Amino acid sequence: MSEVIATNQTILVVGGGISGVTAAIEAAECGKQVILVEKNPSIGGRVSQLYKYFPKLCFPSCGMEINLRRIKANRNLRVLTMAEVSAVSGESGNYSVTLKNAPRYVNENCTACGDCETAVATGFDSEYDYGMKQRKGAYLPFNMAYPQRYVLDPRIIGTPDADKAKAACRYDAIDLDMQESETTITVGAIIWATGWQPYDADKIQPYGHDRYDNVISSVEFERMLDPFGPTGGKIVRPSDGQEARNVAFIQCAGSRDRNHLKHCSRICCMATLKQTTYLREKFEDDFKASVYYIDIRAIDRIDDFYRKVQADPNVSFVKSKVASITEDKETGNPVLHGVDTEGYHRYSNPHDLVVLAVGMEPSVPKDSFPVDVVINDNGFIETDAANGGIFAAGCSSDALDVNRAVQSATASALRAIQVVNRVAGTEG
Amino acid sequence: MSDEIKTGAYICKGCGLGERLDCDQLATIAEREGKASIVKQHDFLCNAEGVAMIQNDIDNEGVNRVMIAACSRRSKTEAFNFQNVAIGRANLREGVIWVRPDSDEARETTQEMAADYVRMGCAEVKFMTPPHASEEAASNDHILVVGGGVTGMTAAIEAAAAGYPVTLVEKTGQLGGSAAFEYKRIPEHMPYADPEDTGIAGMVAKIGSDSRITVHLNSTITRTSGAPGRFSADISTESGSTTTENFGAIIMASGATGYDAGQLPELGFGKTPDVVDQAGLEKLALEANGGPIKRPSDGKEVENVVFVQCAGQRSETEGHLPYCSGHCCLTSIKQAMYFKDQNPNIDTNIIYTDLRTPGAGGEDFYRSGQQKGITFTKGAVSEVSVNGSNVQVKFKDLILNQEVNETADLVVLATGMVPNSGVDIDLPVTAADEEVNLDNLVPEVKVESILNLTYRQGPDLPHLKYGFNDSHFICFPYETRRTGIYSAGPVRRPMDMQQAKEDATGAALKAIQALENAKLGRAAHPRSGDLSFPSFRKEGCTQCKRCTVECPFGAIDEDEERYPQFNEARCRRCGTCMGACPVRVISFENYSVDSVGQQLKIVDMPDEFDEKPRILVLACENDAYPALDMAAKNGNHYSEFARVIPVRCLGSVNTIWISDALNSGYDGIVLMGCQKGENYQCHFVKGSELAHVRMSKVDDTLETLNLEKERVETYEVAITDIERAPQLINAMAETVEKVGMSPFKF
Amino acid sequence: MTDANQQMVEQYRNNFLREVEDNVEEGEWVKMCMQCGVCSGSCPFGPHWEHPPQEIFMMIRAGKRDEVLQSDSMWMCTSCYNCIVRCPRELPITHIMHGLAHYAKRLGIAPKNQPTHKFAQLFWNNLTRTGRVNELKLGLALYFMNGIGEGIKTSLKMQKIGLGMLMTKRLAPMELIGGHKCKDAKGLQAILKKAEELEAARIPTAGK
Repeated sequence: MSEVIATNQTILVVGGGISGVTAAIEAAECGKQVILVEKNPSIGGRVSQLYKYFPKLCFPSCGMEINLRRIKANRNLRVLTMAEVSAVSGESGNYSVTLKNAPRYVNENCTACGDCETAVATGFDSEYDYGMKQRKGAYLPFNMAYPQRYVLDPRIIGTPDADKAKAACRYDAIDLDMQESETTITVGAIIWATGWQPYDADKIQPYGHDRYDNVISSVEFERMLDPFGPTGGKIVRPSDGQEARNVAFIQCAGSRDRNHLKHCSRICCMATLKQTTYLREKFEDDFKASVYYIDIRAIDRIDDFYRKVQADPNVSFVKSKVASITEDKETGNPVLHGVDTEGYHRYSNPHDLVVLAVGMEPSVPKDSFPVDVVINDNGFIETDAANGGIFAAGCSSDALDVNRAVQSATASALRAIQVVNRVAGTEG
Repeated sequence: MSDEIKTGAYICKGCGLGERLDCDQLATIAEREGKASIVKQHDFLCNAEGVAMIQNDIDNEGVNRVMIAACSRRSKTEAFNFQNVAIGRANLREGVIWVRPDSDEARETTQEMAADYVRMGCAEVKFMTPPHASEEAASNDHILVVGGGVTGMTAAIEAAAAGYPVTLVEKTGQLGGSAAFEYKRIPEHMPYADPEDTGIAGMVAKIGSDSRITVHLNSTITRTSGAPGRFSADISTESGSTTTENFGAIIMASGATGYDAGQLPELGFGKTPDVVDQAGLEKLALEANGGPIKRPSDGKEVENVVFVQCAGQRSETEGHLPYCSGHCCLTSIKQAMYFKDQNPNIDTNIIYTDLRTPGAGGEDFYRSGQQKGITFTKGAVSEVSVNGSNVQVKFKDLILNQEVNETADLVVLATGMVPNSGVDIDLPVTAADEEVNLDNLVPEVKVESILNLTYRQGPDLPHLKYGFNDSHFICFPYETRRTGIYSAGPVRRPMDMQQAKEDATGAALKAIQALENAKLGRAAHPRSGDLSFPSFRKEGCTQCKRCTVECPFGAIDEDEERYPQFNEARCRRCGTCMGACPVRVISFENYSVDSVGQQLKIVDMPDEFDEKPRILVLACENDAYPALDMAAKNGNHYSEFARVIPVRCLGSVNTIWISDALNSGYDGIVLMGCQKGENYQCHFVKGSELAHVRMSKVDDTLETLNLEKERVETYEVAITDIERAPQLINAMAETVEKVGMSPFKF
Repeated sequence: MTDANQQMVEQYRNNFLREVEDNVEEGEWVKMCMQCGVCSGSCPFGPHWEHPPQEIFMMIRAGKRDEVLQSDSMWMCTSCYNCIVRCPRELPITHIMHGLAHYAKRLGIAPKNQPTHKFAQLFWNNLTRTGRVNELKLGLALYFMNGIGEGIKTSLKMQKIGLGMLMTKRLAPMELIGGHKCKDAKGLQAILKKAEELEAARIPTAGK
């Protein structure tokens, strides 16, 4: 682990998703010293697991490529992966942060050739694919991972696979002796951008996500569209691999619900509308999509995307929160039960596949946040002067879409700069 | 290029290059044909030792052109980041050995491919000078904020808090914008239960006491010129007195105007004073000041009020707004609370089709509204009319499936916002005169220019859609088509106050970033940090203005002699001007007609009997080139006859390259750029589109040369086209086989 | 204005909603409903309700007093609590349904022949007489609730079970005469009478 030099004119960004990356780049391009820490082996976050963005239906890797170029070109910005913040103390303009660095077991000699991956045997659930696929014990997190460096799953250390990996590497890039280490750095301001995780759909008992194969979450559905993903880009039913041409989307699964997440997760309506276009992309005219909703939130300028999808004759909208799901044992079809509230009409609709538009749960450790910040009931960090030099960006601050997350990240970069500029002012 | 060129060529043998290629032969080519003074091979060029070797040659052997024959320029970029030298990367890994089979049959052509890339790499660096900043780089920390509403005030406060002086210009006689006319605002803090004080007074006071902020009231911008770092703006009052000041960057926060509800006679506006819009309700609330709100018609206390959501919005009907204004559902809840907080017995009913209360605060506020007794009815309002002394709202209750006539004392129409975005420079101009015809414009949009830019392309920021100045990029919302000028707040996209403040803070950062980079002569997104800038040979210029008109960022003006005037700080370094110039007088220090043209010419051209065609691939570095790299990483092969040259943008492709390629004997040319059109992905907005237009004219050239049209193809390629991009190259190889070799080989 | 117009004019006002809040158990929750329909979909008796809970809440907000109170819908509630568990707003729907039924009863406009209503009345009568439920009498009253013919038919159908219970001492035939009481049945009746008076005082005479 090379030496990390930081002062109280340095800005620390915690989290390497789209918000953290944006905040870090924007601050660094203003000439500030920035350190970006990410606990996973690669930056990119959850947007790298998406197929397309709404409403343009463009690819996340496009914007990420530009961000990577900007990162590579900027000497003010240092990216530390496999690093997690374990303690924070101090005050605005002078924080002491302890980082826990997990061993990657691969050093900077790695050329991403892939020989180690070919050599090892054991498979593990792929986090990137939400467990829908396996990956090897020596792996590159995904195609556009940054750094482009392999990583060893700690579970193979001490097993023959580790030795096989080391033997296969021609560049002496595998170091099985790497240890967990701790670094303590001084920074002036901290941007907290740890993003979100999908609400655990298993908790929504009536929907049977944990019992029925063909009830999946929206993030799992999204993974299917990746040609390098678990289904090679095909939209299929997990139960039998058949094409899923009649798909139900259940909105507010776990959101706006005092039994689960109280807040509205904002993006799920647009994400579902986007996913109906995937069906059209893959199946042309031969599909049906049913969206079960309470309110469709296609907000501001992008409301026309909703109208565009409404105009698709194969997509229907039912104002109903689905009450329960059962399974037709013979066909494996999930059957949705509920009441269409517009005019009161009961239904028991079978579908090939059910997609639960699960909400965003903020990845803010509410009860164990390393330092005192104002966290609201919904788990998000609020903008509050009491937070001192700690600023939330992206989905740590509210349920946001990418556009707003970038807006939030850019704003938090300025707030962090205000702090370090004040420090610079006092220090001359 | 006055300095003596000393090229160092470094050939890496790692990653299988040493096994698959004859690196000695490549070294010879670099020396003899590439004229490299120093040629070295290394087993593992990117490791510390290899890098040190190159650095040593730079420091002690005078090497000022570094040609690295190894992996793609996108790999190991940080490792090969040498300062003050020109660097070329010959892509032998992703560009050659990873896209060709490791077999005996393929060995010969694979070697030829590698040899060509080494030649090309050496040729390229000869025409690259390590870029230095333009002398035009100007330093000015002063930021101009146009518009004194919540957005403008926030931008001013935040920029000042970062240490930058700000001038805030406001058209009316007071700061605060539309929020100054609101009784309270939607809550911005937990528990998100009650309307809060607007905070405007506090902001105005803060600005008043901040010595770094200068305020001009009753003023507009009557002229803006210059570039980041050296903007100059005339701030004029109505009486005509003008101050001219210089700024480093500009934030446009001119806000939005309420939609004219007079266009909704079917909703009763104008038929009775008891039908008001949201702004009208705020006025009544301010007048009541905590006491009962009274009907405008007869002063009776309002006992029941109905809110009609999405009035004249989210609709394709002529005269209506085709978008959602984002805040109105929350605003109606807030306004219903004005009544309920004063007297819980007042009936408040909000009629909506989709209730939009997003995020954490939104849903909390909705619940709080319900807690206070506000009722919500999903219904479609068809008519609001007068009924005696009452107002009648006719709607269909979509839940109970019945037609209803509800009577109310007061009806509030939740109408939308229309951005004050100035002149739409992309609108077609009438043939009669050069003045914009007011009748052609959407009635609600004001025609007065906000910025009065002296730019040749037009006086305001280009609009994106529906009159908003948003950038088209989801990942880069602030990157509008005018460098150094950032829009923020409702003029950029419909939004509420809390978002406007966040937006203003973000825009303030971008403005600061722009002026800091201008000091150093550095480019903004997407070629951040790029020091190169276009220069042109005046003697050769024919004043055709193509560069000026086609520049996607309006960076080029016209001087008094009618020559193009390049404003380096406004430039994004895409090279569209270079591609546009028919006499090829425009170039960058490290990217020119020659730096690419010489590459394609140096390729070894086998004669027609060898049956080895040559296919030139010009791939945009933003999407297409990464797609080809990733295709290679995934083992997707393509034709051994392809020679790929990355370009900054397809817009920078000059047709001379096409004619040179054809004249040199290339059998096929494939251009790959980003998506164009309404959903453009092109990072320089217009570049890809322009390329397609230019290439459509190349058909004529092909005809005169008696060549088949299929030999030149232009494609839109996405970064995820990992399967498709190689297929496009292979398709061209098939075409060439079909139509035969080019007759221009010698 | 005639009564009908008055009703039309007062649609979608909060009068009935307020009435419900004041008089129905957990009535103040009705305004929190966001019309998602999960309750209606979850109710196992759903198909038999004329108006499912979510619709009833909307009808209350629309001022449809008579349709709601005279409906037999809420009487169908079996207290399974499926709706409460799933309601995203955590409305105590079961209690509101019972509350509405009870309120309708107190107003005297509950549907007369609704079986649950009738049984509830029987139960109440049975219980308040002695302060204890007389199961034998209640069972027989239930059989004969819909008339003598029905009563005899049901009794005959159940006779085997009845005999079985008698043999295993699960049935005390002496309960038919008198039956066990609580300590102060008269005192209990006095309490209940007073409670009824207090409740009745809160019922509004009309509308607001």
